[in-house]
Amino acid sequence: MARRVPPHKRAPLTLALLILCMLVGACAGILGIKKKTDAGHPFEHRKHTVAGINCLTCHGPIKEATENAPITLPTTQTCLTCHKKPHDARDCNGCHGDQSIREGAMAARKHLKFAHKRHLPAVKGQCVPCHSEAGSVDPTSLRPAMAQCFSCHEHKDQWATNDCAGCHRDLPSEGSRPATHLVHDGEWLREHGIRAAASKELCSNCHQESMCASCHGKTTAALPWKLAVGDLKLDRLHPGNFMARHPMEAKIGGGLCTTCHAETTCSGCHSSKKVGAGTGAKSPHPVGWVRAVGGSHGTAARLDPVSCAACHGGAGEMLCVGCHKVGAPGGSPHGPGFASKLDKKKDLPCRLCHVP
Amino acid sequence: MKAALTLASKLTVGALFGIGCTICAPRSLRADPLRLRADAIGSTTSPVGLLVLRGEDKFKPWLDAEAVAWVGATSTPDVTGDALVLTVRARDLQGRGEVRVGRFVHVSGAVRPLHIDGLRATGRILASGTSVEVFTGAPVVMRFGTRPYDVAWGGRISQIAFGTLSFGVSYLQRHVGASVLDREVGPDLTFAPTEWFDFAGRAAYDLVSSRPTDALASLALKTGPLRTEAFVTHRSAGRLLPATSLFSVLGDIPSTTSGLSLRLHAAPRLDLWATGAALVQGDELGGYATGRASLALDDAHDGSVGFEVRRQYFGTARWSGGRVFTRVPVSRTFAATAEFELVVPDKPVGTSKVWPWGLLAIAYRISPNWDVAGAVEAMRTRDDRNEVHGLVRATWSLEKL
Repeated sequence: MARRVPPHKRAPLTLALLILCMLVGACAGILGIKKKTDAGHPFEHRKHTVAGINCLTCHGPIKEATENAPITLPTTQTCLTCHKKPHDARDCNGCHGDQSIREGAMAARKHLKFAHKRHLPAVKGQCVPCHSEAGSVDPTSLRPAMAQCFSCHEHKDQWATNDCAGCHRDLPSEGSRPATHLVHDGEWLREHGIRAAASKELCSNCHQESMCASCHGKTTAALPWKLAVGDLKLDRLHPGNFMARHPMEAKIGGGLCTTCHAETTCSGCHSSKKVGAGTGAKSPHPVGWVRAVGGSHGTAARLDPVSCAACHGGAGEMLCVGCHKVGAPGGSPHGPGFASKLDKKKDLPCRLCHVP
Repeated sequence: MKAALTLASKLTVGALFGIGCTICAPRSLRADPLRLRADAIGSTTSPVGLLVLRGEDKFKPWLDAEAVAWVGATSTPDVTGDALVLTVRARDLQGRGEVRVGRFVHVSGAVRPLHIDGLRATGRILASGTSVEVFTGAPVVMRFGTRPYDVAWGGRISQIAFGTLSFGVSYLQRHVGASVLDREVGPDLTFAPTEWFDFAGRAAYDLVSSRPTDALASLALKTGPLRTEAFVTHRSAGRLLPATSLFSVLGDIPSTTSGLSLRLHAAPRLDLWATGAALVQGDELGGYATGRASLALDDAHDGSVGFEVRRQYFGTARWSGGRVFTRVPVSRTFAATAEFELVVPDKPVGTSKVWPWGLLAIAYRISPNWDVAGAVEAMRTRDDRNEVHGLVRATWSLEKL
């Protein structure tokens, strides 16, 4: 049998829970838990539907609306045809109708290839089967879910090949994401390379060639994050004072810098800023790094060639060959157990050292 | 310098000519829909202009084109420029295949991404979910330069099964002159049987050096508002380096990272992230941990405020840091952003024991076509200098449907 906790010991716990509840309650609005009350309320579609008013009474032009027709939102004049004595002189849409629902409808008009003219005869003039939210007391959107389209249309082939252009004008610029879409935040920069490997066709629904090229292209100087000046991107590749941290980030990156940057990026910048390797520049390496015979660089390079590669990725030929040629004082650079199927007399980089 | 200027001029003239032709051409001759976008980014260190062009022809919907070019002055003395993407694509509207020709980044399966001037063709059997992709081309050399006899080719065969499983095998071979640089082969797989479980992985093996070059795996579980991801990354320096580099023959100690990442949608406006990973390179062991909280200021998530903390501990690369950030949408067209970061290295370089950094930015949408932003960035550098930079961006876009 569980032992009862004495009341005097329960009091602090109860108090703590009470305070926590009060805090959550006080912060509910900030956290988005509390329902918003300051925004305009949705249009009273339900009231009109229940009263037996046909949708086309207000949205008349929609029965002739083609793919490129403008959106058919009723005006104040439309309302006045029934409401002869309005209670307010202002525009009806100013209060009756949620701006976010209107924006959703306008976005759908802009992004989708959809002709009401073609669909209305097929559903016998009934709008509610698709716009079911119109019958709701408090709708959040009147835009039918994509599943609603699939309840009549079978797009098996397009679905299988991720070809969305049949309905979506341009998914990349649309920027919408279905609820079940991959999460693109947090650690997406690390994740994307794993998930894109087998799902390239999925990615290409929303992203063009330029998306890959802006990072993986070897000739770019336009750092992608700079394009987003004025935006707050939480998963930026080089956030904050990256310039100060970059030697340390490069060290844990495992040579990852060369995924996006050309081999000359490091040496070019270090030379121009007079920091690091280059004529007349100070070296970032400690004293004794390279001596006439040996130096500490050999041991460091064997322990961690990735760090060397982070800055000297493509410069191995120039940096090393002078000393590490066969017969030269540097000797063999190969680590224990080294093996390769390259032809040392013909292939690079072998022939740099092995061919006299 | 002269050559670079000449090239920059050519690119600018070419881009302007393209825009001019598009705008002035009779309607019947224009590609429609048409999308143009130009970004100009000015900073006190390196002004850059980026031009993005995309065109589709409504009379030939199976044909489209894309180009991205940039011109700018970098921190090095010369003015430079280049085309990142320049492609024409023809495709079967039923999705049975497509051919892309031009300059593009070839990304496919487990083998390394390649920026090439070349061709890629894809064929699909819709009924069985089988795809075959082949490509060939010359690896891109800066500023339309050429290296005779450099060539890469390869392909991928893949299969979609049960609508939830996608797997494939890809191959890549690169040559420099008469030499083979690498022959890479590897499988890739994505498996997402339910909404709460998905797995993705890929691995590559170099047949020349007879060693694994790259292996990555990610397993994610989603339970309600919590997404948990376990990941492993194993990379060989040899994969990332040009195979001509002597670093690829030093012994090539691979780098292995394994960790856990959590994302909690704690409340409609509150998101929490945490990531911790262990890192191994040879005998060296370390790791990093990051935590972040972001609170939206409105239901549309236009504005937000949050903070991030990070600790990195690996070899001599040891530091702790924190960052606070906020974005306030003042109106529908105007927003202000502020970020502040403080990094404390375990072993200071020079006399500076902390590296502060801050950024203040404003963005203003002048019209649906015009968008401008300005920012001031201030920082303390590793070598004890205080620097202030200005950044300006202007974006113009035209979309004609």
